[in-house]
Amino acid sequence: MASVARSSLLRQVATKSAFQKSVIVNAPRAAFHTTVKRDLLPPPPQRVVGTVNDAAPIPPTSPSHGSYHWTFDRLVAASLIPLTVAPFAAGSLNPTMDAVLCATLLIHSHTGFQNIIIDYVPQYRTPRARKAAIWGLNAATVVVGLALYEYETSDVGLTETIKRLWKA
Amino acid sequence: MAALRSTASALLGAAAARPSLRMAAAAPAAFRGMAQLADAAQQNNTASENANLKTFQIYRWNPDQPSEKPKMQSYTLDLNKTGPMVLDALIRIKNEIDPTLTFRRSCREGICGSCAMNINGTNTLACLCRIPNEDKADMKIYPLPHTYVVKDLVPDLTQFYKQYKSIKPYLQRDTPAPDGREYRQSKADRKKLDGLYECILCACCSTSCPSYWWNSEEYLGPAILLQSYRWIVDSRDEKTLQRQDALNNSMSLYRCHTILNCTRTCPKGLNPGQAIQSIKKQMAF
Repeated sequence: MASVARSSLLRQVATKSAFQKSVIVNAPRAAFHTTVKRDLLPPPPQRVVGTVNDAAPIPPTSPSHGSYHWTFDRLVAASLIPLTVAPFAAGSLNPTMDAVLCATLLIHSHTGFQNIIIDYVPQYRTPRARKAAIWGLNAATVVVGLALYEYETSDVGLTETIKRLWKA
Repeated sequence: MAALRSTASALLGAAAARPSLRMAAAAPAAFRGMAQLADAAQQNNTASENANLKTFQIYRWNPDQPSEKPKMQSYTLDLNKTGPMVLDALIRIKNEIDPTLTFRRSCREGICGSCAMNINGTNTLACLCRIPNEDKADMKIYPLPHTYVVKDLVPDLTQFYKQYKSIKPYLQRDTPAPDGREYRQSKADRKKLDGLYECILCACCSTSCPSYWWNSEEYLGPAILLQSYRWIVDSRDEKTLQRQDALNNSMSLYRCHTILNCTRTCPKGLNPGQAIQSIKKQMAF
C-alpha cells in the first residue's frame, strides 16, 4: 500500500506545483520590515567546528578567568556598598577610607568594562580588536588610577568633592 | 483537528478523510485547492457573520531562492474550523492553503520541543500556545530569533546540539553500585532533579538570551547549562568536578548576566536562570 501511495504522491508534485503558484500569488503578502541596515558587524556565515556530530570544543579550565574572577567581582561590588555609605554615615572624612573607596571603584569599573569587552568583542571573530580593546582598557585604568592618586594627594579627595557638589 | 477533518470530509467526500485513500486519488491537490478557494469565496460572501477570522503573518524564506529576501506572508483562517493552538492553525495552513509552508512539529503536546518558534514576540512551543480569541490582531510567527534559518520556520540547531554533546549529558560513574543492582538515590537527592529533568531542549530559552545571541559560538546558553546542572547535582554522577572544570572559563558559563529572559520564556515553566546561578554559587568558593 505504501509503495502505491508513494508513486501517486510523487506524481502529485507535477500537478501540484502549477496550482501552488496560483495559491501563493493570491495570498496577501506584507513586506519584511527590518530596522535600518548599517552592516557595522555583519553576521558571519555559519561556522561549524568539526563535523555536526562532534561535540563543541571545551575551552581549557582557567579559574582566574572563571570562578575566581566571578567571585572577586561580586566581593568587590558588595564591598562598595559599605564603603560608599560609611563616610557619610560616620560624618568623618578619613583619607585612608577615601583611598580604599577609590581603589575599589577603579577595580570595579575595570572588571565591569572587561566584561563588556568580552561580551561584545569576541575573541574568535575579532581577535585584534579584542586585544586593542583590552589594552586600551588597561591603559585607561592606569591613567584613571594615577589621576585619582593625584586628586587624593594634592586636592580635596573624592568624598569631599561629592559632599561639596551635593551642597553646592 | 476534529473540526478540520469534518470540513475536509464534507468538501471532498468521505474518501478524503482517510489519508491513504487521499494519496491514491488522482489529483487530490487540485481538489483540495478547489475546496479551499470555494471555502474562501464563501467566507468572503455569505458566511461572514459566523466566521471568526484570524490572520497569521508567517516568516517565509526559501533556500532554493537565496537571493530573495525573507518576507512575511499572511494567511487567514476561520478559527471556528481550526483547533485552539497555533500549531493547529499552522497544520491547517499547510494542509489546506499552502503546502510549501515549512515548520517542525511532532508530538503536538509539548513534550518533543520540535515546534519551538517565536510567536507574537515570545519564544514558545506552537503546540502549547493558544490562539488568542479575544483580539482581532494578526498573529506574527517567526523562527527562533538569532538562529540560522534552514527554511521558513525551521532554525538550524547544529551548534545547540553540539554544545549539548559537549557537556556529556549522561551518567558518568566508575564505582559499581554497592549491592550490584541499581544506583540508588535518596528522596531528597531525587528532589534536586525536579525542575531540571523536565527540560525538552526546545531551545526557546537559549535563543531568547541576548548573551547567547552574541556569543553562541562559545557561551553554552541557558538550556545547555540547565542540563549541565542536572548532571552536576545528580547524586549518582561521580564526575561533578570535571563537569564544573569544563565550565570554569570566561565564556562557557560566565557570559550569563542574569537577564532571565530564559526563565520568562520557558514554555515548560522551568527556571534555567536559577540553575545557572546554582552552578555559579557551587563554583564560587
